Amino acid sequence: MAKTSTARRIDEPLEDIERRRPGFGVGEPPPVLPQTPIGNNVWLAVLMFLGAEAMFFAGLMGAYIVFRVGAAVWPPPFQPRLPVGVTGVNTVFLLASAVTIRVALRSARRGDGTQLVRWLGLTALLGAIFLAVQGYEWIELIQFGLTVSSSVYGGLFYTLIGFHALHVFGALVWLMVVFTLARRGRYAKDRYLGVQTCAMYWTFVVALWPALYGLVYLY
Amino acid sequence: MVIEMKRKILTIFPYAFLALILVPALAGACSVCVTGGDNDPTSNAFNWSVLFLMATPYTVVGSIAGWLFFKYRRAAAKPREEAAREPALHLTWNEEESGR
Repeated sequence: MAKTSTARRIDEPLEDIERRRPGFGVGEPPPVLPQTPIGNNVWLAVLMFLGAEAMFFAGLMGAYIVFRVGAAVWPPPFQPRLPVGVTGVNTVFLLASAVTIRVALRSARRGDGTQLVRWLGLTALLGAIFLAVQGYEWIELIQFGLTVSSSVYGGLFYTLIGFHALHVFGALVWLMVVFTLARRGRYAKDRYLGVQTCAMYWTFVVALWPALYGLVYLY
Repeated sequence: MVIEMKRKILTIFPYAFLALILVPALAGACSVCVTGGDNDPTSNAFNWSVLFLMATPYTVVGSIAGWLFFKYRRAAAKPREEAAREPALHLTWNEEESGR
């Protein structure tokens, strides 16, 4: 059989070329590409958890929409207005923390421990500022008479924004744990799953906020 | 007597069933039928809320599936990129092999 028509390496055995030759039922099956895993179980579990969290907030937002769209006057009479400006600035702080956590994750992927600690710390600081401003706002609103039991408006506000604040607080605790572990050098270039999952959760709570701000404060 | 009763029930049942289908408001079959029509703000509010809640699961599942698909494509492209970096032709002679 002529073997001259097949391009080949000069040093390649002829048997290998014969095996590569295409044909019906001839030769070996096509090579199977090595499968690179797209994630691991922890990563997938966090993703599913975030899906469930999204549905939880969707339920609360659905309830808010019923009362908001159905109301003739909103906010109801004799109820204080929400501080749109201050919360807008606070939103910028929270959005900035999404950028810093991504930079921290990139540092973890590079194996740069110093930068990782620095950016995680900055993210935690921005998150703490957000929570502090939110807490201050709440104190002001309560003094103005907006409480959970004052009206449906107050109830919805504290439920929706309160649950988000609770999530930010939870994310902040998680972030502080990751920050502490990063300071102890527990993460490396090929071992940063803790940072990755924390970044996923943090990004979720940050991404949720503009939707809540738009719905509760601006709409 | 019992057979007679059963026959009566079986005769009435289709009519009653038909009436319930034709008059859902009387049957209380719709949870938002208590409101006053299309222009009613409460109906409108429920409609928007239902639309939002109906769209959310698709958005969430679609986002997760899209993200997984994106990750899969990226992971699958990695071996191909590595294979593409391999030289197309291995020469029998090169400096490394010759030891020069």
